Amino acid sequence: MQFKHRKLDNGLTIVAEVHPPAATMAAGFFVRTGSRDEPAELAGVSHFLEHMTFKGTPRRTALDVNREFDELGAHYNAFTSEENTVYYGAVLPEFQARLLDLLCDILRPSLRQEDFDVEKNVILDEIARYQDMPRYRLYEMLMAEYFLPHPLGHSVLGTTESVAALGRDDMQAYFDRRYSPGNVTLVGVGKVDFDALVDQAAQMCSHWRPYDVRRDTAAPPPAVRRKVQADPGVAREQIGLASPAPASQDDERYAAMLAATILGDVTGSRLFYALVDPAIADEASCVYDALDGSGVFLTFVSAGPEQAAEALRIARDEMATFLDGGPTEAELLAAKNKIASGATLKGELPMGRLTAVGYDWVYRGQYVPLADQIEALYAVTPDEVLAVARRYDMTSATVVALGPVEQL
Amino acid sequence: MSERFFIRELPNGMTLLGQQMAHVSSAAVTLVVPCGAACDPPGLAGASAVACEWCVRGAGERSTRQLNDALDALGCQHQEMVRSEHMLFGAAQLGRNLPAVLELLADVLLRPRLDDETFGPGRALVEQDLATLADEPARQCSLMLRERFYPSPLGRCVYGTPEGLAAATAETIRGHIDGHYRPQGAILAAAGNIDWPALSDLGERLFAGWPAGRSVEPELRPPAGGTTHVAKDSAQVHIGLAHRAAPIHHELYYASRMAEMVLSGGAAARLHTEVREKRGLVYHVASHYHSLKGHAGMFTYAGTRPDLAQETFEATVTEIRRLADGVCDDEVTRARTQLKSALIMQGESTSARANALASDWYHLARLRSLEELSAAIESVTADEVLAYLHAFPASEFTVLAIGPEPVDTGALDA
Repeated sequence: MQFKHRKLDNGLTIVAEVHPPAATMAAGFFVRTGSRDEPAELAGVSHFLEHMTFKGTPRRTALDVNREFDELGAHYNAFTSEENTVYYGAVLPEFQARLLDLLCDILRPSLRQEDFDVEKNVILDEIARYQDMPRYRLYEMLMAEYFLPHPLGHSVLGTTESVAALGRDDMQAYFDRRYSPGNVTLVGVGKVDFDALVDQAAQMCSHWRPYDVRRDTAAPPPAVRRKVQADPGVAREQIGLASPAPASQDDERYAAMLAATILGDVTGSRLFYALVDPAIADEASCVYDALDGSGVFLTFVSAGPEQAAEALRIARDEMATFLDGGPTEAELLAAKNKIASGATLKGELPMGRLTAVGYDWVYRGQYVPLADQIEALYAVTPDEVLAVARRYDMTSATVVALGPVEQL
Repeated sequence: MSERFFIRELPNGMTLLGQQMAHVSSAAVTLVVPCGAACDPPGLAGASAVACEWCVRGAGERSTRQLNDALDALGCQHQEMVRSEHMLFGAAQLGRNLPAVLELLADVLLRPRLDDETFGPGRALVEQDLATLADEPARQCSLMLRERFYPSPLGRCVYGTPEGLAAATAETIRGHIDGHYRPQGAILAAAGNIDWPALSDLGERLFAGWPAGRSVEPELRPPAGGTTHVAKDSAQVHIGLAHRAAPIHHELYYASRMAEMVLSGGAAARLHTEVREKRGLVYHVASHYHSLKGHAGMFTYAGTRPDLAQETFEATVTEIRRLADGVCDDEVTRARTQLKSALIMQGESTSARANALASDWYHLARLRSLEELSAAIESVTADEVLAYLHAFPASEFTVLAIGPEPVDTGALDA
């Protein structure tokens, strides 16, 4: 594998992890914008914009875009998060040029009014779809309760009201503020022809006019809040906890990943043995969410209404115990093995490497081969994990709950 | 370059399969045992799910924790689940750790501890999984639709029923395992960075002594079919429709997969274009092919807001039916490219390949190469797709909808 990178005059960065023996290639545009960059009155605009890029350009209709992707046999999609909007596709190597032609073209969408009006209904239906998922509602509640008024608490989808109120011109203005080439990275992985990638990007994207794009990455102040929302339409009690964690730029991120795995991996973790194994909860997990300039530990527990209070108490006890004593050597090694194994498996597919390589560049401006990352992971000591657990005290957390229970 | 396939059939009826893959360091294994939800005894719906959950709570010399810790230490990403026809163990790890993982899997399968004190929590987790379906209406729609579409008990919900789970005891589940965990029809498929000769020897050492049991086939009853509405005050109406499709061994099977692509293979396919793109009626509408041995269906799902449910239902049915009016060459060409591309991408994934090997052996008693699959796809013409659509018409739908109000299915009688 070989890493290559180039930067165009207008600031568009192109990076690639070239792996000639691969059977496929994948490419994606990583735009450094998401719900945290939206003004409150435009909640959901990044995500709606992501949809609109597939609805046509000056030289393609929506049907053209869809047809051409399908003609390539592409596995493609896009997603929007709090911090990134990513457009990607995976194809057989002989389709690289056609894939790039599509991706480069749609990154300058027309945002036609009729398409905007029809697609708004699709977004409203997507919001309804997620309203029928209590776990997702809990996630939104937790992020809002923990982060707001910091913009990381904004809903990625927006609300029915905010999306209904969005206008086409609002979206264009947002696009014109955020999609500067300097705020975009083009990533290629697998059997990618890097020189052809650069040539084509230069040809198709050099006219993208650069301008200044800002993001305030100051970490939000830690919040210790509590909210219990009773909803008799939900069968199982959903519980969430949030507390500060190292930022994606911090060296402690490996220790944080390990701490979350030891405490709350879906198998063989402290929470698993304390809650799932004895069937007090049907699900209990802890994840480390590394963000731009900040980070958060997120814990989720799902339990029957009669066991919810006990489940929460046990989860908090486990966090306190972990903060007190840290991991055992065996736990630490098992966590390392699991993460390394998972990363290796994921890395065997071009799509698995695309986001890894993309995020390494977007967040840290660097490329680190997977083998080196695994080595860094194995180098973490029990003391370092304990230090993270103590510095980022999970016992001091925002707690939210959604479900049949009135009080917790 | 063609794949390197290996096959070994043990005298007790279990089959070992292997595919050696270059340029990967992982090895995945799929192990299926013919003890799925379809063989839950009367009055004990969910027995197979409880058995599957209980088996991993200690095996051989190891307690639950020791077993989990051993798998975790090997970096094994594993899942255990019950499906209609099988209990399935899936494990993916670095190739060099596969032999050690197989030793543990053999313990789970052949020497599960099944202690009294682990029975209760195991059964409780299955009960909770069943209860959670109420919070997942899209998934619930899919499971309930299958139950009504397939001959009973083939499509039965894998979690069983609250009554069946409540009736289960440690003794009855031990009996269920005794009667159904057997080598006949069991398949162990490994793909990736494998050493086949060593793997084959290990497989024999671990499983050749598994005593043969008796083959048990469930007695089938005709499918319930019909239209069912489940009242729920949900934000969306979840609509599921199913109609017959060609089973895997049928000569029109590849034509059915092509029809699936034309209908729902991507954003330019019929359903996405007509129901979402042009009308904005849904975020998600899709059809997919699903089969059990000897039976197959095209399963369509649309999720939509209640005020648009009727229009969405009718637009979806129209598109499914309109396929029989004709498919054009462009659509067929696109479908071919999509299927072949998907095959090649599947070929990069060790776990996808392990699953495919087990599935091929179960349905066909042989392994299909990429070359064979590509040639078969290449040979399907627009005429053959039409022949398939006339042989398996879009009629006699089974319908399952979850939402505030029932959907008027009068359009189906038109």
